Amino acid sequence: MKQITVISGKGGTGKTTIASCFIKLAHEHIAVDADVDAANLHILLEPKIEKKEDFIGGAVAKVNNTCISCGKCEELCRFDAISDSTADIKIDTLKCEGCSVCEYICPVGAIELVKEKQGEFYISNTDYCKIVHARLNPAAENSGLLVTRVRNAAEDIAYSQNKKLIIIDGAPGIGCPVIASLNGVDYALIVTEPTLSGISDFKKIYEVAKFFNIKTFVSVNKYDINTANTAEIEKFCSLNNIDVIGSISYDENVPKMLAQKKFIIDDLKSPAAKDIKQLWERIEKILYN
Amino acid sequence: MKGLIISVASGKGGTGKTTVAVAVALAAGYCQFIDYDVEAPNADIFLKPEIKNIKKVTIKHPYFLTETGKDFSKCVEFCQYNALAVIGSEVVFFPELCHGCGGCILVGPEGAVREKDIEVGEVSKGFIAPGIDFLKGNLIPGSMRTTTIQGELEKMLNSEGLVIIDAPPGNSCSMVMAVKNSDYCILVTEPTPYGFNDLLLSMEVLDRLKISYGVIINRDGIGDSGISDYCRDKNIKIHIKIPNDIAIAKCYSGGGTLIDYNPSYCSKFESILKEIESLAY
Repeated sequence: MKQITVISGKGGTGKTTIASCFIKLAHEHIAVDADVDAANLHILLEPKIEKKEDFIGGAVAKVNNTCISCGKCEELCRFDAISDSTADIKIDTLKCEGCSVCEYICPVGAIELVKEKQGEFYISNTDYCKIVHARLNPAAENSGLLVTRVRNAAEDIAYSQNKKLIIIDGAPGIGCPVIASLNGVDYALIVTEPTLSGISDFKKIYEVAKFFNIKTFVSVNKYDINTANTAEIEKFCSLNNIDVIGSISYDENVPKMLAQKKFIIDDLKSPAAKDIKQLWERIEKILYN
Repeated sequence: MKGLIISVASGKGGTGKTTVAVAVALAAGYCQFIDYDVEAPNADIFLKPEIKNIKKVTIKHPYFLTETGKDFSKCVEFCQYNALAVIGSEVVFFPELCHGCGGCILVGPEGAVREKDIEVGEVSKGFIAPGIDFLKGNLIPGSMRTTTIQGELEKMLNSEGLVIIDAPPGNSCSMVMAVKNSDYCILVTEPTPYGFNDLLLSMEVLDRLKISYGVIINRDGIGDSGISDYCRDKNIKIHIKIPNDIAIAKCYSGGGTLIDYNPSYCSKFESILKEIESLAY
């Protein structure tokens, strides 16, 4: 069984648009939406939920009314999560990382670590394959942990049903949810765009993929809006031995199709559709060589 | 203008947060600009600040003096992140799992657990004439300490004046870190089902944090009127609709701002600033 993650560094370069087409074109596969705090794959795939599970996040500190305001916890907290501990103690749950140092140091046992439900994840059926997707509560933490849960669920299904491939739609950025979506996969497809921002973020996400030793391919989306920048991306790739596996034309049809909740590849007259189909055929060859 | 923090956010990535944040800052002329998207910071490409100083951001990682023959099993037991294991007389440390909480030093044999600084990124300070103080954070690829870098930026936030914050995409901790101190948030979206879906999630975050907000629709004309209709029904202010125009995209691709593209955007964003001033207070 192989796994491929679609990532980008910069947001809005076309990850989900491309991943959704791959999901429609592939066979014997499972889909994963690893962008758990802004999930979009369900919009085109219209999953029917078969199984739902609560996501319990990491622990955070809670203080009770036995606190004697000694200030020891604030002094030792490395995450600036505790303030006013010598008056009316406040714990910033956003900053708390659940290390339990405060619980350990508290002389009166006024602090305990509590785990709470921070979202849900779903195993669903679509017309094309099963999908594992999630909803992280707005403003919740531990998105990386939720990505790991979602991927574990997908791997379990893939092994039990003898599937050949897991296609993972990743999150923007280079932080914990992205690293969780890359951890242990066979391939990463970086979708970038020929803008200075796109190039800057592409170089950072490439460093991350390299750091975790993942075989990487690149696709330049809307390559024709700035051919000089596209050439720069290609030059960087050739210097670093990265395969530019297929680029995608700027195509006004793309947002129009999206607005009608249609897959781009449903209209093969559209230039971007042809490019994405060809991109998938090349990836498939590599996956099953 | 005194003491106003405006954040620019969007659930979906690539809708034009940086484009809008940069235009607001340039229209204001005098403000503090903070790029909170430390995983993929891009505002400097457009604002071209003169960087004056760069500060490394570090966290502490433990190391274990195993030659002392002391027992480190309490450290392993305490670590909430499973970053430690003891095998025979050796302590195995998994740096990628360590949050640097210092718990192992607290519970371990005295003097036998030491710490060293590990670089996770940097914070740069710069200036753009006539009066923009520029700040950005930059996370090292491979590190997961996004919120550590954002915490450093937060310490440098000057809440006395006008502050423009360019937030990262998404609706979880790093986005909340960026918007939580703001008086007002501009949500930038695009009129597609993806944009709409993620906009609703961001609105939920801001409602929960009790931060007031308005919307800017970018690439107007590419999709449908769903977002406009929704905002009208819910009485949510739409500050401006920026039309879909390949010329704007081309200008952006080379590091140009909306105001470079068309100077009339300067006065448009000045009016938006005035609107926000009256809405935020």
